[in-house]
Amino acid sequence: MSSQILAEVCQCVEGFGSAAKEGRWRTTLTIYRPVARDPSSTATSAPVPMPGDLPRDFLGLTLHDRPGAYFFILRHHRLILQADANVQSLMDKLQSYKARVVLHFEGFQYQLGDFMLRVGKCVQSHADTLRGIMMEVEYLPLSSIDKSRQIMEDFLDIWQDAVIKKSLPGQFINVELNFADYGLQDQYTPQHTALQYATCIVQLMATVRS
Amino acid sequence: MECVVQGIIETQHVEALEILLQGLCGVPKERIRVHELCLKSGPSLAVPSEIRLLCDLAQPTPSWTVRHVGGAMRGAGAEQISVLVRTMVESKVSNNALRFFYSLGYKLDHELLKIGFAFRFQRGAPITVTVTSANKMPKLHATDEAVPVTPGIQMVEITAPTAGDNYNEVGAAVSSFCEYLAPLLHLSKPGVSTGIVPTAAAAAASLLSNTGDDPSL
Repeated sequence: MSSQILAEVCQCVEGFGSAAKEGRWRTTLTIYRPVARDPSSTATSAPVPMPGDLPRDFLGLTLHDRPGAYFFILRHHRLILQADANVQSLMDKLQSYKARVVLHFEGFQYQLGDFMLRVGKCVQSHADTLRGIMMEVEYLPLSSIDKSRQIMEDFLDIWQDAVIKKSLPGQFINVELNFADYGLQDQYTPQHTALQYATCIVQLMATVRS
Repeated sequence: MECVVQGIIETQHVEALEILLQGLCGVPKERIRVHELCLKSGPSLAVPSEIRLLCDLAQPTPSWTVRHVGGAMRGAGAEQISVLVRTMVESKVSNNALRFFYSLGYKLDHELLKIGFAFRFQRGAPITVTVTSANKMPKLHATDEAVPVTPGIQMVEITAPTAGDNYNEVGAAVSSFCEYLAPLLHLSKPGVSTGIVPTAAAAAASLLSNTGDDPSL
């Protein structure tokens, strides 16, 4: 994993000829941990629930194209909440959960016909270490997931061929997500995007661990 | 942050108060029908905290807000001012907020249905006056079966946002406005009990008699 590989990935996109570079983007993902009570410190005789009942998969996201919104995801509960951006300030004041890890997905975006591509790196806040390389593909004419499925698959096939020809180490993995599990519908929304970033980071962490 | 004062008024005088506010504010009133759920952090969380989820039932599609009210400002500056200055953060949230906070370890402490009206206007500061009755529900979330907590008494609350460095000016604007309402009710810092103003009945009668129905006017 290196900046060189990221640069070559960008060259892949630019090699499509009609790709127009449109500037930078950044999505920020925060991993929260509960500020749990220490069960051994209680002085009462009443049983205190173990902190194990508190979620450990609590994520927050700011999307590049929705700066006024914030998304919370509880993966185990299959729950996504959309709020105003100042909900982060509210969570800070509650002191019930603290931000433990902050990750930035950032890079360049390209317009390629009816597609918007965002290629970028995943880095931890205040650190230079590259955690991963990701790409977001947006098909602009349609907002129906079902109707755009085939064209998205076709695009990914073309993309994988381009990457293989570059002989880049590693491969792009597209993790399918069942949006209905989170109560989301076929019409694509920013909540769908937030869930995909959450899935992306889980996949990235699983890959790093293995 | 916000500046806030509260008071109570008998329900029989609310119509007169509405007439007075309409004349002072010059804006249309907004209907209030808010299902308020007070959640407190459960025993697994180390720091006790409290939030309120507000579901606005007055709109065609209910909308949700989460609100956290923090501690009041203390010190000499706070004692000299006649309004309470406190931190307050609120955010619009999607309609699964209750399930979300339950999943985070919060528990429902109590719920109320607030019914009434509000005026939002500018007078030295953006000011909101709300007049509401608090109603409790006999069964969980049964807003259609809500009954008044204190029949015959409604709460009046005046709030104005402040950035923290202008609370004196904002507090002065709120206090100044409160003086116009003095014949009907006394407003003070939350937690400071003032009761019902003895001049309320006469003031209300005067306001009602001066509006509309008398052909000689």
